Amino acid sequence: MTGELHRPVELSLDQCIKCNICVTACPVTAVTDLFPGPKYEGPQGARFRHNGQPTPDKSVDYCSGCRVCNMVCPTGVRIAEINARARADMVRDGKFSWRNRLRNNMVARSELLGKFGQPVAPLANAVMSNGLTRRLMEATLGIARDAPLPAFSRERFTKWFKQRPSKKGTAGKVVFFHGCSTEYYEGRPGKAAVQILEANGFEVVVPKQNCCGLPLLSNGEFGAARSYHESNVRSLVEYVRQGYDIVGTSTSCTLTLKEEAPELLDMFGPDAKLVAEHTFDFNEFLLNLLDEGRLQTDFRPIPLRLAYHVPCQYRAHRIGKPGLELLELIPELEIIESQAACCGIAGTYGYKTEKYEIAMAVGKPLFEFVLEVGGPVAVCDSETCRWQISHGTGVPAIHPAELLAAAYGFEVEGALAEILSN
Amino acid sequence: MSRELDLLVIGAGVAGLTAAWQLSKSGQKTRVIAKGWGATHWHTGCVDVLGYYPLDSETPVASPREGLERLTADNPQHPYALAGIEQLEAVLTAFQELCAGAGYPLYGSLDKNWLLPTAVGALRPTCLAPETMIAGDTASKEPMLLVGFRRLPDFFANVVAENLTAQGIPATDLTLTPKPLEKERVMNSVLLARHFEKPEFRAEIAKEVRKHLGQARRVGFPAVLGHSPQQAMTVKQDLEKQIGCPVFEIPTAPPSVPGIRLHTIFMAAIRQAGGRVYDGQEALRADSEGSRITAVYTESAARERPHRAQNYLLATGGILGGGITTDHLGQTREVVFGLPLNAPDGRENWFKRRFLDAEGHPIYQSGVPVSNRFQPVNGGAEPIYENLFAAGGTLAHCEPIRERSLEGVALATGFKAAKVISEE
Repeated sequence: MTGELHRPVELSLDQCIKCNICVTACPVTAVTDLFPGPKYEGPQGARFRHNGQPTPDKSVDYCSGCRVCNMVCPTGVRIAEINARARADMVRDGKFSWRNRLRNNMVARSELLGKFGQPVAPLANAVMSNGLTRRLMEATLGIARDAPLPAFSRERFTKWFKQRPSKKGTAGKVVFFHGCSTEYYEGRPGKAAVQILEANGFEVVVPKQNCCGLPLLSNGEFGAARSYHESNVRSLVEYVRQGYDIVGTSTSCTLTLKEEAPELLDMFGPDAKLVAEHTFDFNEFLLNLLDEGRLQTDFRPIPLRLAYHVPCQYRAHRIGKPGLELLELIPELEIIESQAACCGIAGTYGYKTEKYEIAMAVGKPLFEFVLEVGGPVAVCDSETCRWQISHGTGVPAIHPAELLAAAYGFEVEGALAEILSN
Repeated sequence: MSRELDLLVIGAGVAGLTAAWQLSKSGQKTRVIAKGWGATHWHTGCVDVLGYYPLDSETPVASPREGLERLTADNPQHPYALAGIEQLEAVLTAFQELCAGAGYPLYGSLDKNWLLPTAVGALRPTCLAPETMIAGDTASKEPMLLVGFRRLPDFFANVVAENLTAQGIPATDLTLTPKPLEKERVMNSVLLARHFEKPEFRAEIAKEVRKHLGQARRVGFPAVLGHSPQQAMTVKQDLEKQIGCPVFEIPTAPPSVPGIRLHTIFMAAIRQAGGRVYDGQEALRADSEGSRITAVYTESAARERPHRAQNYLLATGGILGGGITTDHLGQTREVVFGLPLNAPDGRENWFKRRFLDAEGHPIYQSGVPVSNRFQPVNGGAEPIYENLFAAGGTLAHCEPIRERSLEGVALATGFKAAKVISEE
């Protein structure tokens, strides 16, 4: 037997009983008929996708990959992964126009963009926020002119990290996986997380690491994603062998290391497995400490009432809502949990001209919720979701780690700092 | 700081959600874990208590109360007998109050079954029905017009009308092709229900229906009149006003919008009481120490995840719900705790020879035997684990589909198990 037959994604499609529950839950199907629904695209379409046969439907590219379908499926079909693979096959078979592939490769290379753009942040930001540039980008590349592209940060996260005196910890050793967003665009969650981990007695290191590859995976560019994941595994596995755990504040990066990359790329080797088993979402890691009685919880009160959206990528870890359980420990902080399925952006999905309106329509219930709760900031674990929430509401958005850092008494930056100083 | 749960419910069908609602309301720290959604999205959105008894009877039960008296006398092991009819009555009242509070009242009582039309025009006995369905009551012989939609699968108004007419309820039919639906590439009940929430869409439908009303004194639609519970009432009332006569819904094949409405009501009640419901978390196995369950493990990305609670409630359903499974050797297995089952030995005894055998198929009667405290037992009355309980379709000695007792058994046993747990 070949490994092919044991691929969990493909095997799961036989579990589909055609109950349509995924279709009722899909946030994309709810707003557009360009995506007929997870059942049709996933298990049903997959029956027609055989090597050398024409694929049944190009609409699978309208799957945002939010994984809501996986979460509600009563029989465990890996629908989102079936769709991701179908898209990758289309890319491989040349079913995408060269322009869309160029565009997709650009928006999916957050690390490369960061490497070029961050060093000249003021200039790059001015160019990227210019209306004319955005119109040109829309016309030539198909990147929606209004999409919430992030601004480059003035200082790379790793630069900040290296300038700090290194601390020896006794509680344990942690590799911080910053991901592209913390490194090049928004360092705040990373800084908060490092301070919190150190305060709890952990030695934190930030070794060589790449983009996790998720943006490439969700654009069907599996080859490039594989190089990234291989490189990450090579670097990180040495630390895991020395007793380090890998912790990240970007929920989609940690999910990619844990599951998405190995599963979609069939990288089930011992090293990739070891890395996956020792990778934790930041909140998940803290909550485990709490359960073991090892988390410091002498939190200062934060008298705010805030909306919190648990991103779909985060729910897909299938670990409950650790962020919610942690924030509940902060005195006087009132957290109102969003019930929205998805913010719409789904990584790079909402950046694309043909999908921008869909992404905004998917996010509408969440935007309305955030405005109704009406706090000075919204809380969300995933960076692209935070940018989308701010784009849809005008309300700044922060990571739960920033609130925790403030509750520990650390100095925070950005919107939260302003609010707390008032 | 202890974060241990008071109760972990495994399964988010009606039984699990009922227990979670009751116990979180009484202040217990409750978490529901579920592999996915299921029962609530498949069922009719009514509460069936007992539709047929004896099971091979051709006549539906007229009074569930009388039927239950016979059933519990004949079968003292039946979950209804273990829960007690007074518990069933209490939970029906509580559930009616919950739904009424959500602006979506359910009507009926244990003294009389409704006989409501199905999507093929058969008559379906049920105990509690939402206000959106009761004008379809076939105790009244008033003529009805049945409205279908050309692109909606599995609902053919002409079939419903023909079968009802043959049973003495004069019915005509009308199949509409509203413009907004023509543009949709796919159509299902949920998408149609979202269309009905738009006043301009309703106005177009009402106008067409009025033209074809004829002798009809009431109008039946597939159950797509609004997605949320509150919207459903608005849509129904608005259509009645515009058409000028009572309007009712007939449950569809899954996804079932009225079932989803009850799911919405349950979830809001649990959330409001401080309970949590997590989907996408399949329970894989459990740890025990002596006579206590100490943890249940769920599947998550890259590793298993433990859940620890004082008490555990198994509400994973039977063969259909996934709580009980079989293998190619003919072994039947309860999936989380490996509890003993009363199941037929060997594959050859799973099924009767005839597909629609009046005695049903033994495999669908397999389940977890429990004590009258709803604790799984192994033959005797002593519980296998002192902190493990079971409720709903996973239980032995009942056959909810053939009895037409699915929601009734789930509500009664979820409620009773919650009561026993809260008295622990």
